Amino acid sequence: MKYVILGASAAGINAAKTIRELDPNGEITIVSKDKAIYSRCMLHHVISQGRQPREINFAEENFFEKYNINWLAGQEVLGLNTEEKTVLLTGDLKISYDRLLIATGSSSFIPPIKNLAAAKQIFGLRNIEDAVAVNLAAENTGAAVVIGAGLIGMDAAYALADRGLEVTVIETAEHILPLQLDKTAAQKYEKLFRQNAVNFFFKETTVEIKLDQDNNVRGVVLQSGAFVHCGLVIVAAGVRSNIEFLKNTNVKIGRGIQVNSYQETSVPNIYAAGDVCESTETFTGQVSLTPIWPSAILQGRTAGSNMAAIPRQLEINFAFKNSMTFYGLHTISFGLTGQADSDSKELIYQDAGNYKKIIFKDGVIKGAILQGDISNSGLIGKLVQDKTKISHPEQIFNMTYANFFAQKENGEFCFACNDNCH
Amino acid sequence: MAVKQGRRILINKDLCQGCKNCQLACMAEHTGNKSVLLLDLENRANQARNFIEPGNDGKPVPILCRHCDDPACVTACMSGAMTKNPYTGEVSCDINKCAGCWMCVMSCPFGIIQPDRVNGTRAVKCDFCAGRHIPRCVEACPTGAITMEQR
Repeated sequence: MKYVILGASAAGINAAKTIRELDPNGEITIVSKDKAIYSRCMLHHVISQGRQPREINFAEENFFEKYNINWLAGQEVLGLNTEEKTVLLTGDLKISYDRLLIATGSSSFIPPIKNLAAAKQIFGLRNIEDAVAVNLAAENTGAAVVIGAGLIGMDAAYALADRGLEVTVIETAEHILPLQLDKTAAQKYEKLFRQNAVNFFFKETTVEIKLDQDNNVRGVVLQSGAFVHCGLVIVAAGVRSNIEFLKNTNVKIGRGIQVNSYQETSVPNIYAAGDVCESTETFTGQVSLTPIWPSAILQGRTAGSNMAAIPRQLEINFAFKNSMTFYGLHTISFGLTGQADSDSKELIYQDAGNYKKIIFKDGVIKGAILQGDISNSGLIGKLVQDKTKISHPEQIFNMTYANFFAQKENGEFCFACNDNCH
Repeated sequence: MAVKQGRRILINKDLCQGCKNCQLACMAEHTGNKSVLLLDLENRANQARNFIEPGNDGKPVPILCRHCDDPACVTACMSGAMTKNPYTGEVSCDINKCAGCWMCVMSCPFGIIQPDRVNGTRAVKCDFCAGRHIPRCVEACPTGAITMEQR
């Protein structure tokens, strides 16, 4: 059996490992644009210079030798022929497969801003090459602009400020991390960022990059007419699935490659996992992209198992969860975190170091923000994921797993109401 | 590859009296001298990896890392720090790799993993008293609520 995996990040690596565990003799090839294995979530550590590029490798040592996997590194996928069962790579190299996994991830979305394409010091933050290029550019300027205050944007802002640059963040919403936090939680962070030479423009968009005659970045112009001086710009305005090479194939695509709960695409023997695919998400029940690390891992393992002919369904595909930490302040959030609607009920706990908000609707938790002390937040996440009815909502901030304690035969913990236990 | 679960700490909550000897033993084991007698309870660096919390009936419930067969903390870890040993079944966190992103804290439904209290940069969890044959919590439990099973 010839397995070909496109992509060597969370989904691809975990699929390969799963296949090898189930099929000791199959021929496994990973094709990746990446020339190294690294955690995309940790690229900002390379910018802040807290870690060397090799220190953000998430895989086991000697991964490819250990699992007997061929690795075609630095290879881009240019096309797919589903009749021939071949993929076309850089340099007209063609390889054939019996089972194919597409785990090509996503790329930074580049918004239509004047001069963006021509400018030299414009970077996304998706690849190790981006982080290395940002580092070089950061040596030649004292100021940076970050477009977009999502997690990637704020990680970038933090890292650049950490290495001494003055940073300005431009965000269309009215506070940072609009998908992960409410205004109160966001403002706690904004205060800390401001104390560290990071400035913000909210409800603003960037309309033009100002360049010198050699296309070096000199600043950005905002919708309001404001000008922000800078020598480099990071674009963190969302991502798009890497699916261009599927043009002219019959692989069904929405915002990403459509897959079922076995990670199967519309074409037999072709699977997809991770940021590149869209699937039914557990919290909303809707088909959407699920661009978080744990989803990529689980989808990769599920795909790998099915590719090796051991049927496995992705049972939980919960992507509405986030964790973050800036300046020593930790936050974990689940579900819907913004304004609760009229038939929801909000419970808030606040003291000097903590802000905790839980949103209830119809007796279940629809959203949670836990900022400061994040211990036991995993329990809240489990209750959100399982849509567990909470009989005493007023006690939610004091609840621990002791309130749900149950054990399986083998001594593992479980949740009495949901799992098979005794 | 089925993971072997070598040792597992078993809990009989009905026997727990809530004495918290297991927590003291856990804290002591993770200090230099490993002594309960010399343990400084005011030092925030001394952080237990196990918990005794009241259940719905108000009685104590020991909550200890299960080193789960399919650990959510390992699935969520984006640095490669959290791994399950395929031979012993133990789930451990390599603090040199840990980036303090709290994906594990977010993912453990039992609330067992926590940020370190001093710097808030590394995950703290049960390490099965690395190198010790019998974990300190098991040894310290006077009632038989916490026992170890060897498979």
